[in-house]
Amino acid sequence: MTDTLSIRRVSASPDAYIPISALRSGGPTYAKLVDIGACIGCKGCEVACKEWNDLGVEPTANFGSYQSHRDLSPKTWLLMRFNEVEVDGNLNWLIKKDACLHCEEPGCLFACPAPGAIVQYTNGIVDFNQENCIGCQYCVTGCPFDIPRFDAATRKVSKCNMCVDRVEVGLEPACVKTCPTNAISWGSKRDMLALADQKVETLNARGYENAAVYNPAGVGGTHMMYVVPHGDRLGDYSLPSDPTASPAPMTALGFMKRMGAYLMGFGVLGTLVHFLRYGPERLEEHGGHGDGPAREVPSA
Amino acid sequence: MAERLLTRFTFFERILHWVVGVTFVLLLATGLAFAYPALFWLTALLGGGPSARALHPWVGMLFTAGMGAMLAVWFRDMFLSGTDRRWLRAIRHYATRDTAKVPPAGKYNAGQKMFFWVQGALAVVFVVSGAALWFPAAFGAAFLQWMRLAHYLATLGGGLFLIVHVYLGTVAYPGTARAMIDGTVTERWARHHHPRWHEEQTRP
Repeated sequence: MTDTLSIRRVSASPDAYIPISALRSGGPTYAKLVDIGACIGCKGCEVACKEWNDLGVEPTANFGSYQSHRDLSPKTWLLMRFNEVEVDGNLNWLIKKDACLHCEEPGCLFACPAPGAIVQYTNGIVDFNQENCIGCQYCVTGCPFDIPRFDAATRKVSKCNMCVDRVEVGLEPACVKTCPTNAISWGSKRDMLALADQKVETLNARGYENAAVYNPAGVGGTHMMYVVPHGDRLGDYSLPSDPTASPAPMTALGFMKRMGAYLMGFGVLGTLVHFLRYGPERLEEHGGHGDGPAREVPSA
Repeated sequence: MAERLLTRFTFFERILHWVVGVTFVLLLATGLAFAYPALFWLTALLGGGPSARALHPWVGMLFTAGMGAMLAVWFRDMFLSGTDRRWLRAIRHYATRDTAKVPPAGKYNAGQKMFFWVQGALAVVFVVSGAALWFPAAFGAAFLQWMRLAHYLATLGGGLFLIVHVYLGTVAYPGTARAMIDGTVTERWARHHHPRWHEEQTRP
């Protein structure tokens, strides 16, 4: 466990795009598995998250849902979304445990311009370092899951940090610890994938033919995975079906930045070469187009 | 005997130029800092990362105001004429100092006029994309990603133009920069660079 906070990637740093897995010390890579089929909607995890991370209470109001708050916030890193959906004529709660999924390829980290504001540990956790955050919110635009939230008062962005301060001392995240139905499991990514397959089989046997594991490949897999009973209805769970860490405009931006650096460099060099070739223009008393009576003069 | 001086830019025009110039350099430096981690230290110009990010859009507002006024003050002088089109075709001779082959310019040559219009267009891209990036909560992630790309491309264009602008205005053509400092140029300079304007200015 000594290497759980070894760093894999740092935002706005030269190696941010280069997986340095070859240099890893072989420590565990963790994953949280959320079995939505086993969730009873008690929201104990929300409370545990608030308590452990000392996020405080945010007043809310009844807006016609069982859901506690409308949205995530800088002080609400975990929100159980109660999506009311009719399935085969019956009302279903397609619950989503809305919090950071800790992508293997984190779009937030790739989008971040502030060195060290976002780090990814070798254990898979993606964490925000608010002291380095400049408040630009580019992580919000880079996240395919709409997770980071900006605090206008502190001008910092925050999100679930997978209770990294618990994980580094060998404890499970607070939400895992508190879940009364063991709907949330914690362990190595490999073990959690195996457990997810078992849970899908169990759901299949119970008649949920479309049960599936949500571990989207577009972001290299995630370190919070879901088992969803209705795998054909990802949209109803508010889960994007094909999230990506490198959307077209960001890929183009990365390419253009590289080209742009050369262009601006050549621009400076070009003026220097031009100057060495042609030098400062000397104004002759005679000669040149600006002299002599032959030049065109518009009639006034 | 000291050479006669012609007034090229009024005090107000010079103020506008430097409002836009100083704000643009600050915006370019901090913008490049946000674009390139190796240049992140340039955020120090506006007080470090968080402060530079907070001030960048406000400096942008000042730039927008200056640029808007500049467009309003100068656009009448900047329409291309037939001579300007011939000038543009001869731009290679201008760049290689083969001035005999360059059609005589008025107060502004066609290159300066094109510079004006391209900078104006880039300013519109800066302001529109910058406004979106200033208030990201109001827009979708995909739209903002395109705005980041647009803002960067405008930065690249503006940066390249700035390099050429500063080069031509200073070391390449001695006697030019003072037009934006004390507002004057020598008559010899005017006759050489802007013969038609010189003619208008010195006509008895």
